[in-house]
Amino acid sequence: MESAALVIVLVIGLALFFDFTNGFHDTANAMATPIATGALKPKVAVLLAACLNLVGAFLSTEVAKTISGGMIREDQLSPDIFPPIIFAGLIGAITWNMLTWLLGLPSSSSHALFGGLIGATLVGVGVSAIDTGVVLSKVILPALIAPLTAGIIAFTVTKIAYGVTRRYDTKADGRDGFRWGQIFTSSLVALAHGTNDAQKTMGVITLALITVGWQSASDPDPHIWVVFACAITIALGTYMGGWRIIRTLGKGLTDVKPAQGFSAETSTAATILASSALGFALSTTQVASGSVIGSGLGRRGSTVRWNTVGRIMIGWVLTLPAAGAVGAAAALIVVWLGGWGVAVDAVIAVAIILGLFLRSRRDSVTSANAMSEVADSGAAVKVPRKPGPTRRQRRLERSGKDDA
Amino acid sequence: MTIDWEAFLHVFIAAIIGASIVVTFYALGLRLLVRGGRPPLVAPVEFTDAITVLTDKQRRRAEKAAAKAAARNPLSEGQKRFALVGAYACFAVCAAAVLGALLLILFNH
Repeated sequence: MESAALVIVLVIGLALFFDFTNGFHDTANAMATPIATGALKPKVAVLLAACLNLVGAFLSTEVAKTISGGMIREDQLSPDIFPPIIFAGLIGAITWNMLTWLLGLPSSSSHALFGGLIGATLVGVGVSAIDTGVVLSKVILPALIAPLTAGIIAFTVTKIAYGVTRRYDTKADGRDGFRWGQIFTSSLVALAHGTNDAQKTMGVITLALITVGWQSASDPDPHIWVVFACAITIALGTYMGGWRIIRTLGKGLTDVKPAQGFSAETSTAATILASSALGFALSTTQVASGSVIGSGLGRRGSTVRWNTVGRIMIGWVLTLPAAGAVGAAAALIVVWLGGWGVAVDAVIAVAIILGLFLRSRRDSVTSANAMSEVADSGAAVKVPRKPGPTRRQRRLERSGKDDA
Repeated sequence: MTIDWEAFLHVFIAAIIGASIVVTFYALGLRLLVRGGRPPLVAPVEFTDAITVLTDKQRRRAEKAAAKAAARNPLSEGQKRFALVGAYACFAVCAAAVLGALLLILFNH
């Protein structure tokens, strides 16, 4: 029992560390666009995101229940074996997360978590322990559908935003005001992030507590101290913030204008909030990327750099199997070596994390130098100064010719 | 193994309706602000690397242009006031939509 308690403490510690890296990784999703359009200072943006993540974590616990109460069949598990397996899964998730963070790839922390957990469970317990129906309908399918949904919505609302404010005389069109709006929409995105991503860690910790019998399986709601711990950790992680990713997402994909950024963020927030309410554990990173691309396509004559899109897609597709493989390997060590395996895993994890951290120090990116690179990449985006005529202008032109 | 396809549809519909309401009314509000003779002029926060930095000179010029446009505005004072009230009403609708959605999430489980 003592060793079980020790493992649980390790699981909670590692889960909270994952929560921290998740916040660290995902600050950019909420705040890349307002920073890129100059609506908010980077430091202010990051602080705002941290506070709202904290609030969001308290809003809804549906997603936590998906993980703690559905994905994995608790009745198939024994309390001795499973906590080390969760531990192994978390190692897979964190390793993959740190790696993609270092490469500046917007991978999905959530899919890293699911990949690690599923991979470790498959190796450690077997296929029977995983509820494929729940995994498919609450994890895999939302992962495929959500970015597309967000993209379509972003495309539509970008059209609306530009359409409503379009003027055919040369008077001010008021689009500058979207800069104010962005402060609110990006705040909403940060809030939505808290409702979805902080929940995942709560779910994992609750799952661990259920398997050792410290919490009843019939009540998969996370304990209040779990909610508090996760909310505070994700807020801290967000504050420490990922400048690296801001480079890729804010300006690399498409040149972001205030009206467009406003639309993209509204779509991201709406999609994530609606999904959280129904317990879909989706990837906030992918939804944000989908929105940015969709809103880019919604702008007249703008071109998205499909190279970058392709690179991001590869990161997405790789995440689940890659984190799964690392998680499976870690679980294999546990299965072979038992209690010593957990120790070996812990040492390896610490070594990898330290190594990656030291490697990242070598060319550290901070708030001071990250944004100039954003501006550089913006220059590489081709957005015509004068996009072609709108439909109405074309119609007017044609009827003008007919008259003449 | 049952997959609840309807839930995906619900998410899509809820999200697109919510996003459309917010964006439409915010844009409408901005448009009415302009009509009311108060075009929003927001200089990006002071931030050396920002992509569209307005210099003080550029901002003064823009403000002048906005004032000129407002002077040429053929609307009467009453019409302008009406447009301004409309603009604030639109912003209020945005805020209400967001708050309503959050309350729905908070109390609906």
